[in-house]
Amino acid sequence: MAFSRPRARFGRGPVAVVAIAAVAALGLAGCAPGGSSPTATNSVEVSTELTTDPVVLTIADETGFPLTDDLAAEFTKQYPNVTFNITRDTFANLTANAPKLLASDTPPDLIRLPTIGDTVKDGLLANLDPWFDAYGWDKWSEAQLAPLRMGDDGVRGHGSLYQLGLGYSITGIYMNTKLADQLGIKNTPTTLAELEEDFAIAKAGGVLPMMEGDKDGVVNFVVQAAINQYADPKELMDWILNVEGATYDTPGNVKGAELIKKWADAGYFPSDINSIDYATFVSRFQGGEGLFTFNGNWAAADTQAKMGDDVAFFLVPPVEEGGNHVAMGAANSFSVAAGSKHLNEIVFFLNWIHTNDKARQIVTDVTGAAPGGDPSQTQPKVAPGSLIENALAMSAQIAAENGQVDFMANATAGIYAGAIIPESQLLVTGQISGQDFVTAVQKFYADELAG
Amino acid sequence: MIVNKSEFVIGRIVLVVVLILTVIPLVNMLSAALQPADTNPTGLTFPTDPQWVNFVTAFNTGNVWRLMGSSLFIVIFVVPVSLLFATLAGYALGNLRIRGGRFLFIFLILGLTIPFEALIIPLYYEIQSMGILNTQWAVIFPLIGLYMPFSVVWMRAHFIGVPQELSEAARVDGATTLQEFRRIQLPLARPALSALAILLFLWTWNQFLLPVVLISDPLNRTVAGALTFFQGQYYSSIPLLNAGALIIIVPTILVFVIFQRQFIAALLQGAVKG
Amino acid sequence: MTTSIAPRRAAARSAARRGTLLGWLFAVPALVAYCAFVIYPLALGIQYSFYKWNGVGPSEWVGFANYLRVFTDATLLGSIGNAFVLIGFFTVIPVAAGLVLATLIRSLKPGPFSSLSQTILFLPQIIPLAAAGIAWSWMYAQTGAVNQVLSAIGLGFLARPWLGDFQTALPAVGLIGSWVLTGLCTVLFLTGIGKIDQSLYEAVRLDGASWWREFVTITIPGLRQEIAVLVTITVIAALSSFDIIYTTTLGGPGRATLVPGISIYRIGFTQSEVGLASAFGIVLMALVLACVLPIQRLARASDR
Repeated sequence: MAFSRPRARFGRGPVAVVAIAAVAALGLAGCAPGGSSPTATNSVEVSTELTTDPVVLTIADETGFPLTDDLAAEFTKQYPNVTFNITRDTFANLTANAPKLLASDTPPDLIRLPTIGDTVKDGLLANLDPWFDAYGWDKWSEAQLAPLRMGDDGVRGHGSLYQLGLGYSITGIYMNTKLADQLGIKNTPTTLAELEEDFAIAKAGGVLPMMEGDKDGVVNFVVQAAINQYADPKELMDWILNVEGATYDTPGNVKGAELIKKWADAGYFPSDINSIDYATFVSRFQGGEGLFTFNGNWAAADTQAKMGDDVAFFLVPPVEEGGNHVAMGAANSFSVAAGSKHLNEIVFFLNWIHTNDKARQIVTDVTGAAPGGDPSQTQPKVAPGSLIENALAMSAQIAAENGQVDFMANATAGIYAGAIIPESQLLVTGQISGQDFVTAVQKFYADELAG
Repeated sequence: MIVNKSEFVIGRIVLVVVLILTVIPLVNMLSAALQPADTNPTGLTFPTDPQWVNFVTAFNTGNVWRLMGSSLFIVIFVVPVSLLFATLAGYALGNLRIRGGRFLFIFLILGLTIPFEALIIPLYYEIQSMGILNTQWAVIFPLIGLYMPFSVVWMRAHFIGVPQELSEAARVDGATTLQEFRRIQLPLARPALSALAILLFLWTWNQFLLPVVLISDPLNRTVAGALTFFQGQYYSSIPLLNAGALIIIVPTILVFVIFQRQFIAALLQGAVKG
Repeated sequence: MTTSIAPRRAAARSAARRGTLLGWLFAVPALVAYCAFVIYPLALGIQYSFYKWNGVGPSEWVGFANYLRVFTDATLLGSIGNAFVLIGFFTVIPVAAGLVLATLIRSLKPGPFSSLSQTILFLPQIIPLAAAGIAWSWMYAQTGAVNQVLSAIGLGFLARPWLGDFQTALPAVGLIGSWVLTGLCTVLFLTGIGKIDQSLYEAVRLDGASWWREFVTITIPGLRQEIAVLVTITVIAALSSFDIIYTTTLGGPGRATLVPGISIYRIGFTQSEVGLASAFGIVLMALVLACVLPIQRLARASDR
C-alpha cells in the first residue's frame, strides 16, 4: 500500500480481541488444509482423431517466446475449428503460478512447466502414456523424452510421460569472430585450457573476455558449463532428477565451481554482472561487447540476424583434447493439465508439432532448436552455414556422444530463485569459494526436498 | 514573519535541489521513452528527435486499452462499495455511537497494521475455494475487506466531528434515522467521502501484490500489476518499457492534480483527527 | 424554556436507543467484509502455519516446526534484518527531510511556488510503487542517470551498477523508499506547523534565536503528533516492502535486498511450502505490531 494509514491508537485490548476472533474463526475453518489424495485418472477416451467441433484451446506460456503464437496460427490455418487463447507472463511469475493454475477449476490445457516438482504427485498433470501408445511415440528419441518422465517414486527420468518439448534446446558458446581476429585468435577453442587462454588474451587486449549477466541467474550457463566438464554426467543428472541419495557436493562439481571463482578473480566477467539480465547481456554481446558469451540455440537466429557472419557457435570444449562433449540441453517443456477439458485435442496439437513438417519448420525457425520427434523424419530446412545449422549439428553431436544433461535450475521448483541465483551472484563476484557455492546449493536442495 | 536573509537563501536552494531530485526520475523516464525504440539510451539525454510514436507502440503492444478497462472494472466495484460500507459503519460508530461500538472500533483498528504480505498466502487459498481465482473478483472482494479498517476509521473520524446537536435537532423535528442520514449527514460528509474515494482509487489502481498473485493472466490485472508483464513484453526495449510505465502513471497523476486541493485538505484532516 | 428542553432530550435519547439496532445493521456490511477478507485469512494463516503443506496435496501437522525454521534459517533472518535497515530509509530520512522541507516551505509566501512545491513533492506518492521501481532501476543502471551525473561532476570513480553491487543495493533500494515517502511527510508536517501558535515563533525570533533553535524548541515539539503518525506509517511500509524490490532486484544480488515480503511470496508460491510461508507471514505481522505498539505508547505518553 503506497499511501498512509490514519493514526492508529492501541491499548492492550485490541490484540486480545483479534486473537479471540482469529481463534474463533479458526474453529470455523475446521480440519487440516489440503486435499486427501491425488485423483489423477484421465477420464477421457483416448482418440487420435481431431474433433470437428469448434474448440478453444488455452495455453499458458512465458513472455518473450513467441513460438506458441506461430504454431497456434499455423494449426488454426490447417484446422479452422480449433482456435487458441494464449496467456503470457514472465518466467518468474509463470513458474510461481504454475501449480496454482493447474489446480484451479479452469486450468489451461497446455502450460509451460520447466520443473515437474510436486505437480505429478498432486495429480495435476495428465499422464501421456495412453497417447504415447496410440500415436506410436516409441519411434521418437527416448533420450529426449526420458527427462520428461516421472516415476511413482517422484524421481524423473523414468516412469510415465508427463511432458513434451516444443523444441529441444542445446547450449554452447558464441564467439565474436571479428574481435577474435583483432586479438589474433584464429580458431574456436577445442579444450577448456584453450578457452581460458583466449580469455586471458582478450583481457590483456582490453576486450571483455565474456559477456554474461546474473541479475536473473543466466550466468549459470557458464557455471554449469564448467561443472559439466568435471562432473560425472550421470551423477549430476541423478541429482537433477532427485534420485534418492544424490548429492551436489561432489569433487567434480567443486572443481567446476572453483574454476568459476578463478575466472571471477581474474576479471573475466563484466564488472556490473549482477545488474545485467538476460536481454541486456544478449543485446550487449550482439552489439560487439565481449569475445564470448554462453547461451543456447534459441538465440541463434536472432544473433545471426544482428551480427551476420561475425559470430560462431560451438559446444563448450572438454578438458582433454578430443574428449566427449557435455552440454546442457532440455526440452522446452510443456505439460497438459489433468483437468483439461480437451485432452485429446491438445495432445493432437502436441503430436502435430512433432510430426507436421510445417510445424517442425516453425519450431526450428523460431527457436533454432531441433523439433524432436522421429529422428528419421525429414529435418527442417536451414540456410547452409548458418548458426542454426550449426546448432542442429551440435544437438546431433551431443546426442551421439550421449553428453546431454539437464539444467541444474530444473532440479527443484525453488532452487533457482532460492539458491542458485543468489549463490552464483556471490560466486561470480569472487565473494565465496566454489566449495561454498556447492555446499549452499546442496543444503537448499536437501531442505526443499525435505520440505 | 521574520526570516534572516542568508537562511532564506539557503532554504530556497535546498528546497529547489530537493524538488529537482524529486522530478528527475520521472523526467528521466520521459527522456528514455522518447529515444528511438531500438536503441539502448544512456542516462538522461535530451531527445533531439523525440519519438512520440513509442507511446503509441507501447499502448498497442502492451494491450493498454484492455488493461485500463480491467483496472477500471476493478475500481468501479471496489471504490463505491467500500465507500458505502464505510459510510454506514462510520455513521454507526461516529454518530449513533452504538453500544459495543468501542469494541468494534478497536477490532477494526488492528486491521490497520496487518501487512498484505502476511495475509496473501491464506487469501490465495480462500479465493481459490471461492472459485473466483484468476478473475477480477479475486482482487475486488479482498480489497474491499482489506480497505475496510482504514475506510471505516476515516469515516468515523468525520462523523465524530459533526455536532450532535444537528442530529438531535433533526430527530426532534420528527426525522427518522434514515432520513437524517440521507438529508443531513450525507451532504455534510461529501468532502470526507470524496477524499476517501480518491485515496481508494489510487490504492486500487496502484495495487500490485494482490493482482500479481491472484490473477494469472496479466491482462486481467490492474495496470500496476501488469507492470511485470510490461517488463517481459518490452524486455528488449528500455524506451518502450518507460513509455509503457508512463502511460500507466498518467491517470493517477491526472486524478491527483485535478483533485489535489480537496485531497490534501481532507487527508490532513483525517490523519490528524483519526 | 427549561420545561421544554427535558422532553426534547428524552425524545432524542429514545431515538438514539432505537438507533443502536439500526446502527449495528449499518455496521454489518463493513464488518462482514472485514471478517471475510482480513480476519478469516488471518485465522487460516495461523492454521496453515502449523502444517507442512504444498498447497495442493495432503497436509501434515508439524506443530511449531515452521516457526522454528523462521527463527533459525539464516536466509529468513537476514531478510528481516534487511527490513530493519530499510526503516532507516523509509522512516528516518523521510521524517527528517520532511521536517526540514516543511519549515522551508512555510517560510515561503503562499503563492504558486509554494503550492507547486507541494504538488511536486507529492508526486512520488501518487504513482504505483512498481513504476517507481522501474524508473529507479533505470536511474541506477550502469549507463543510467546516477552514474552520468557522478561522472559529470568528477566523481566518475564512484560510478557502479548501484542495484547490482552488494554494498550499495540495499541503500539504493532504500532511497527509492525515501523518494516516495518524503513528500507525504512534508505535506503532513506543513499542516501541523500551520496549527502551531504563530506567536510562539515570533517570541523566539524576537529573542534572537537561530533557525535551528526555533526548529528544535518549537517546531519539533509542536509536531509530536504528526511525527508519531508518520513513523507508524513508514515503519509499516519498510517492514512490508514488496513492490519496489520485486521490480528492481528481486532480493539480489545474493540476498542483499531480500525482504520478508519477497521471501513469503517465493516460499509460498515458487517453493510451494505453504506452512512455512504462512508462519513467516504471522511472524511479520507480529514484528510490525511489536514495532508499532511502542511508538503509539510513546506518542500517548508525550501527550500527557
